[in-house]
Amino acid sequence: MSITRLLVPAAIALAAGGVFAASVGSSTVLSLLTQATIYAIFATGLGVLLRQNGMVSFGHATFFGTAGYVVGILLQTKAMPAEAAMLIAVLGIAFCAFLLGLVVVRVPGIAFGMLTLAVGQMFFLTASRSRGLTGGADGMNIDWPSTLFGAEVSALLKPGPMFALCWSALVLILLALALLLRSRFGAVTEAVRDNEERARFIGIRTLVPRALIFALSAAVTAVGGVLASLNTGFVSPETLHWSVSGVALMMVVVGGTRALWGPALGAIVYFLVKDVLGDYANHWMAIFGIGLIVVIVFAPHGISGALLRLASGRAAAKSGAGTAPLPLTDRSHHE
Amino acid sequence: MFIHVFNGLVYGALLIVMCSGLALIYGLRRVVNFAHGSLYMLGAYLGYTIATQTNFWVALIAAPAIMALLGVLLDRFGFRLLQDREPLTVVLVTFGLLLVIEDVVQTVWGKGNLSLQAPALLNTSIELFGTAVPAYRIAVIVVGAAVALGLSLWLRYSNIGLFVRAASTDPTTTAMQGVNTDLLSAGVVGLGTALAGLAGVVAAPFLALSPSMSSDVLIDSFVVVVIGGLGSLAGAFIAAVLLGMMQTLGAVYLPDAAAVLPFALMVAVLLWKPAGLAGSRT
Repeated sequence: MSITRLLVPAAIALAAGGVFAASVGSSTVLSLLTQATIYAIFATGLGVLLRQNGMVSFGHATFFGTAGYVVGILLQTKAMPAEAAMLIAVLGIAFCAFLLGLVVVRVPGIAFGMLTLAVGQMFFLTASRSRGLTGGADGMNIDWPSTLFGAEVSALLKPGPMFALCWSALVLILLALALLLRSRFGAVTEAVRDNEERARFIGIRTLVPRALIFALSAAVTAVGGVLASLNTGFVSPETLHWSVSGVALMMVVVGGTRALWGPALGAIVYFLVKDVLGDYANHWMAIFGIGLIVVIVFAPHGISGALLRLASGRAAAKSGAGTAPLPLTDRSHHE
Repeated sequence: MFIHVFNGLVYGALLIVMCSGLALIYGLRRVVNFAHGSLYMLGAYLGYTIATQTNFWVALIAAPAIMALLGVLLDRFGFRLLQDREPLTVVLVTFGLLLVIEDVVQTVWGKGNLSLQAPALLNTSIELFGTAVPAYRIAVIVVGAAVALGLSLWLRYSNIGLFVRAASTDPTTTAMQGVNTDLLSAGVVGLGTALAGLAGVVAAPFLALSPSMSSDVLIDSFVVVVIGGLGSLAGAFIAAVLLGMMQTLGAVYLPDAAAVLPFALMVAVLLWKPAGLAGSRT
């Protein structure tokens, strides 16, 4: 795939986001989509871990919520400008996740999921109970300065600009991931995911790439967390709770991880469906639970997988090659 | 001091009943059942309704029986159809099931707290080592011990127990020897689900019934089965009592760190032995 095939859609998506933000007047629609986009970034991070590492984390809300807390605490100390605090939050979480990753990615299969669940719950309980620093269960307000990156914060927080900001972040993250993963690093991590032992036989060190993917996944999720804290100006232990991780995982599965943009699509579908449900939203758990089961059983590669198959079927028909079945490279997990 | 150790034993006994179900299901189907906490909650609420209509003793039998039937259906129309899928896929299906059950419980019984009276026979207190303790809690410990002992003896000495152990080790070879592993799995998943229901009914009189009761117990149970070694009953029994003690003693002597202690223990054990204390297989 040539770089233009990545850059052109990215440019179109950026422009479309800007036009959309400027032309849609309804602030309800825009704030719904802003929230969806923030979760799309979160789900993209979680999806990278599953896609490149084959690992399912049930504790990714840790990175999402902690990012908000780090920004909030750094701003409270007034030790640095807000821009630096945001950067430190993302990079610091990535670095800590790398160190954590060196240890936790060794734990195989489902035990990894349970371990991440436990670590996540530990953070949730710590944040809920430590009153002083984090405001305990009540959460903490984040005092953003009046200007950010040279722009007035009050103007930035209007629905239109906020959506444009989050949307641009999502598109740029997807572009950066696509560029990164088509490099040798991407190939190495895929080899390690498919068969770690074989990758070791051909001389690849497997631990560091896996930990790096874990860190990358955490960093992307942290960007989502920082944007969420900007959007709401508030962070509470709820953002660390394991049910948030579960919902994000649901977005990843529904969207599918075969395409990089799958989890993001899953997040947007999730919020749109939840909005359409309206009065039935009280029963969202049952509806999404059944939806999740249906997707897993009947469309294991999610919405993006189904779309890709549709697209490739059409391309094959056009070139006269008939509908040759896709080479399904199912990921083998060893227990 | 004694009362804290005693309460630790009570919670440990409850966890034994929960985790033996989780471990049995994992052993046969290699499924970490995320819906296990919800099944426990469903059992508790069913028990509540049956107990208020009739009495506690009927609920103690009927609720687990209904749950057993549900478990058999879950295996037949869920795990059995998905047995060739990746384990992670099935885990996500149980997560979907968790959401559905939570919603059903909230819709049928509401979001408020409910409480169930202990049966009159056990609604007294007994003097033990100079401390008065509720008789009901002693009964909970007895139930936990009975489940642990009963399951161990059943798995060790009965024919079916032998088949279960064999199928947990190697389902294919066991099937080749002429054991109907599908039937066996249906039975074992049914038993595991019934145990979740039993834990729910037993817990109802001393823990409040609320829609959040499932996640607390689910996460504690995960900690127990991971520390004990996935699929290992003996490991789960030891870890359950250990965790129960840690929870109650921690809450008294280390109130700041108590909530984090079990997770810290789990992280430490997994890093030291990724397969858990008793586990040779993951």
